[in-house]
Amino acid sequence: MTRLATKEQRETLSPLELERRYKETWDEPSGFPARLATVDNIRIGVQYMVAAFSFFLIGGILALLMRVQLAVPENTFMGPEVYNRLFTMHGTTMMYLFAVPFQEGMAALLLPFMLGTRDLAFPRLTALSFWTFLFSGLIFYCGFFFDQVADVGWFAYTPLSAPAFAQPVAIDFWLVGLGAAELAGIAAGAELTVSILWLRAPGMSLARLPLYAWAWLATALMIVFAFTTLLVATLLLELDQSVGTQFFNASKGGNHLLWQHLFWFFGHPEVYIIFLPATGVVSMIVSAASGRILGYTWIVAAIILTAFLSFGLWVHHMYTTGLPELSLYFFAGASLVIAIASGTQIFAWIASMWGRRPALVAPLLHVLGFVFIFVLGGLTGVMVAIVPFDWQVHDTYFLVAHFHYVLIGGAVFPILAGAYYWYPALTGRMMSERLGKWSFWCLFIGFNLTFFPMHIMGLLGMPRRVYTYSAALEWSSYNLVASIGAFILGFGFVLFVANVLYSLKRGAKADKNPWGSDSLEWLVPKPPPLALFERIPVVHSRHPLWDGSDLEPENPQSEVERITASMKHRPHDWRATLLVDVLTGRPRGIVRLAGPSYMPLVVAVGIMAATIATIAKAYWVLPIAGLISVVGLVIWLWPSRRELEQMYESELPNDTGLPIVMVGTKSLGWLGMVFLLMVLSWVFATLFYAYFYLRLYSGEWPQDGLSIPNWPLSAIGFGTLLLAGALAFAAWQAFRSDRRWSFRLALAGSFGLAIAFFAFHAWELVGLPFEPQTNAYASIFYIISWTLDVVVFIGAMLAGTAFVRSFLVEKDWPFFLGQHAQLTSLFWGFTAVIAGIVYGVLYLSPIVL
Amino acid sequence: MTVQSKLGFAYAATACGAIAGCRVNETQSAIHPAGPAAAEIAWLWWLMFWAFTAVFFLVLTLLTMAILRRLPQDALPPLGRTGFIVAGGIALPVFVVTPLLILSLRTSAALHLPEDALTIEVRGHMWWWEVRYPDHGIVTANEIRIPAGEPVRLELTSADVIHSFWVPSLNGKRDLIPGLQNTFWIQADQPGRYRGQCAEYCGTQHANMGFHVVALTPNEFRSWIAKRQQPRPPLSGEQQRGAEIFREAGCVKCHTVAGNKAQNEIGPDLTHIGSRDTLGAALIPNTPGNLAGWIANAPALKPGIEMPPTYLPPDDLLALVAYLESLQ
Repeated sequence: MTRLATKEQRETLSPLELERRYKETWDEPSGFPARLATVDNIRIGVQYMVAAFSFFLIGGILALLMRVQLAVPENTFMGPEVYNRLFTMHGTTMMYLFAVPFQEGMAALLLPFMLGTRDLAFPRLTALSFWTFLFSGLIFYCGFFFDQVADVGWFAYTPLSAPAFAQPVAIDFWLVGLGAAELAGIAAGAELTVSILWLRAPGMSLARLPLYAWAWLATALMIVFAFTTLLVATLLLELDQSVGTQFFNASKGGNHLLWQHLFWFFGHPEVYIIFLPATGVVSMIVSAASGRILGYTWIVAAIILTAFLSFGLWVHHMYTTGLPELSLYFFAGASLVIAIASGTQIFAWIASMWGRRPALVAPLLHVLGFVFIFVLGGLTGVMVAIVPFDWQVHDTYFLVAHFHYVLIGGAVFPILAGAYYWYPALTGRMMSERLGKWSFWCLFIGFNLTFFPMHIMGLLGMPRRVYTYSAALEWSSYNLVASIGAFILGFGFVLFVANVLYSLKRGAKADKNPWGSDSLEWLVPKPPPLALFERIPVVHSRHPLWDGSDLEPENPQSEVERITASMKHRPHDWRATLLVDVLTGRPRGIVRLAGPSYMPLVVAVGIMAATIATIAKAYWVLPIAGLISVVGLVIWLWPSRRELEQMYESELPNDTGLPIVMVGTKSLGWLGMVFLLMVLSWVFATLFYAYFYLRLYSGEWPQDGLSIPNWPLSAIGFGTLLLAGALAFAAWQAFRSDRRWSFRLALAGSFGLAIAFFAFHAWELVGLPFEPQTNAYASIFYIISWTLDVVVFIGAMLAGTAFVRSFLVEKDWPFFLGQHAQLTSLFWGFTAVIAGIVYGVLYLSPIVL
Repeated sequence: MTVQSKLGFAYAATACGAIAGCRVNETQSAIHPAGPAAAEIAWLWWLMFWAFTAVFFLVLTLLTMAILRRLPQDALPPLGRTGFIVAGGIALPVFVVTPLLILSLRTSAALHLPEDALTIEVRGHMWWWEVRYPDHGIVTANEIRIPAGEPVRLELTSADVIHSFWVPSLNGKRDLIPGLQNTFWIQADQPGRYRGQCAEYCGTQHANMGFHVVALTPNEFRSWIAKRQQPRPPLSGEQQRGAEIFREAGCVKCHTVAGNKAQNEIGPDLTHIGSRDTLGAALIPNTPGNLAGWIANAPALKPGIEMPPTYLPPDDLLALVAYLESLQ
């Protein structure tokens, strides 16, 4: 199946013609509205960064307004209503609309360069992620036009954010805006993981992966799990708002600590999601500045350790909630182990620079500023992980100081360092060194003036999130210093922005490799062309640009060199790049990458319509919005006939000895599906956690003496899903042995059983003696049931479309239909397993446990 | 604008003036401990402060040494590549942090809830503190009187959203969570006033949800309790009239006074309002002028609260103040 039929008469093109066609294939639409269809990683990366940085500037202005209010005690510059909205929007903007999205954009932009691949694995998903992010940010801020701005803080503790107390529409703006931003993040996470693992230059084994890519590999996986958890949490809270479920209503069996657990299970990894990619930037810059990186393996180990441990720390945000003390010490221990991980990275960087006298240019200056600030923030982080001390400083300005040291020091300084460092790679010009130094010193001094006094304010008893304070307390002078510092800090950012704009036209021309770096992004012409890597480079070491400065083939006759040579400017009529073995980086196949399309925008518009409809309580719009998204998705995934023909007839498999991977466990479709299933599994895991958490803290279960649903009858209903799963598997087997009618019949069977299940489930839910609004037990019962329905719906869609497609084009049978059949079978296998677990949890666990 | 509301603003303005005028400096500080628990934590803080300052300067020194000197091409840091990373990245944190973790276990063991102590129930409201002495049948607000030198057990609950109880000079903080009950304790070594404040953001007036712990000598405390339990002295004529206004003007809808239960207990119990030192949750001193201003237009002093402006004629207002101040 991997071997493709080749066209008999070979098309011969002159090298010039080949190059022209290749560039045409990779060309991206320009002008309005065609530009909206762009999927190019450079363009989307830049759009992402510009949008996120704009939100950063807005968030910064909100912060300055708050500092004006707090500059003097009992200030009347603004009232509590305004102040409370400002700090909510400031935190929300910085965490959700700047720190992660900006770095995702930066990764989308830089990683293909560094990895030596022509684009990311799912270019249209990159576009979808960007549009969804942009819309979510705009929705967040639209609240201002309707005077509906949330004032519940960025972690929105229930019940302050629950229906009984929250301003209803304002919290909707916040929740659905956040939900959309999480979807964007999850999409980017899946995209980056697959790209880093499978799309690399040949020879780039895992052990030769640039540290920035290592940091992102860990981060992208963290995003998938952390953001999915938050997505479920925000969904539950939004259901409380719009449907009237009782997850966060203590008088109806809900539990407020459930929100805190779910939120911080996201919220703590979030901090490391922001920090880890920044350490990747630092590693790259330290390496270039010192001409070496010592302790590569230690740094990688530290990154992996951080990623794992970050999921075991969430309770250290909940020390004051009255949880059993012993459990707190478990989390305190884990918090301290993470100090080892951060310490290891810092000492590896110091070791690398030892005695190398690196030039104190803007990127390195910002890295040094980072080390100073981050080490201080890390040390106060260890302090707040110490349980009794946290009881004092939790929710005070000490904490505000700590997390600004960690986040601004740990992420913003490295981001700025990265901007100075990679600016020439992107624009061909250097940023002004003079302005850079001025900006750095404003930032560094302004930052410490702003946030250092906050440690003292916290110890002197100033809680966070207060809009005013009494002159009788001794906080006034510290607050004034902090406010002055904030404006110096703000001026530093103005200088930075000015530098970015000024240097676009006036910056000095950059050399080919201005910092003496070792990684592939400096191989690309400046500014980079849309058609990246006309010939994919071959990597022979961890530092390709140091060890073989222009990457001349060592042995032109080697197999790998032969492959990249025959892929120079090819394929010229469809977009493709090399797929490599995860561990060794050996080429394994050629994969098609999707080209420009409006569909990501259409799907994003569908998502946006759904979010706006939820805010406006116009629920009738939801099915329409859903339809727009689903139709958009189908068109998006449906490859063009012309492109398929070109792939089927391509000579590349003959010339390179590599298959064009369309089917099987190496295909991008398969990898994408595995990610989707991972996300869905985590959605269910989170829901089951909520189920058992609610049960653990309930006197009786089901609550309020509700009867347990009819489990023997439901066994039959859920049995249909097991059968449907078995049939989907049978369909795949029939497909492999080319029994076409068995294949079609089995698919039809799966589809029919899914419909039967819907009928049964609808009948069962209607007949239940409780509503989703009855109590928390009923709420969680319904939401798990509904989520299963969504999964079954996707499965039915997959089986149904495969069935229809099996009648369409004969040629597709072994290829794209094969992938469709295989993914359907995989998805149904998952559905059957999940259905079994849902049945066990909802119907059996109340009886058995 | 009506005459009455103008009057209300006038009172409010007077009240504001009064606050600015007669203010004493207060502390609410974790590093000025006044009780055993806070002292333990402060000790831990200073230990960490010195240890971590040393670590911070060690790292900075190494960083400076790393970048300022030019050494031969293949120079390695002291202890070699792996040795340096292991010593600084692993050994140093382990060496500093492990004893700290053990010490903190010791500290929190020392902070254990005393078995047998006076119990006070504290219930958080948006944005004030309900304080009950279940053994003595006393209900008050925003002021917790305790005997100095003795541990006091607190049972913390919330009537609405999550709040956090925090008197930094006596102990750390503990959350008040609706649907749950947390227990906590405080102890003041010396008689005195210790300011506290809600530490968990709880809505519009989170900033003005203060309170005081007033530690009395055990004798004073006993007599304070006894005085609360005595029958009330008869009301004077003006106070009588104030009591009538309290019922007629609608105050009674939200505020309970000794036996006269409010329809909805939205506001603090006023049975002992006359004996309290502050108004509006440690916002302003409890003087007759401030009380009049507060009754006239509380939202002007504390925007966002439930208590509406009252628009009482001046005579009625004065009578009401006289009545309330008599409620010791």
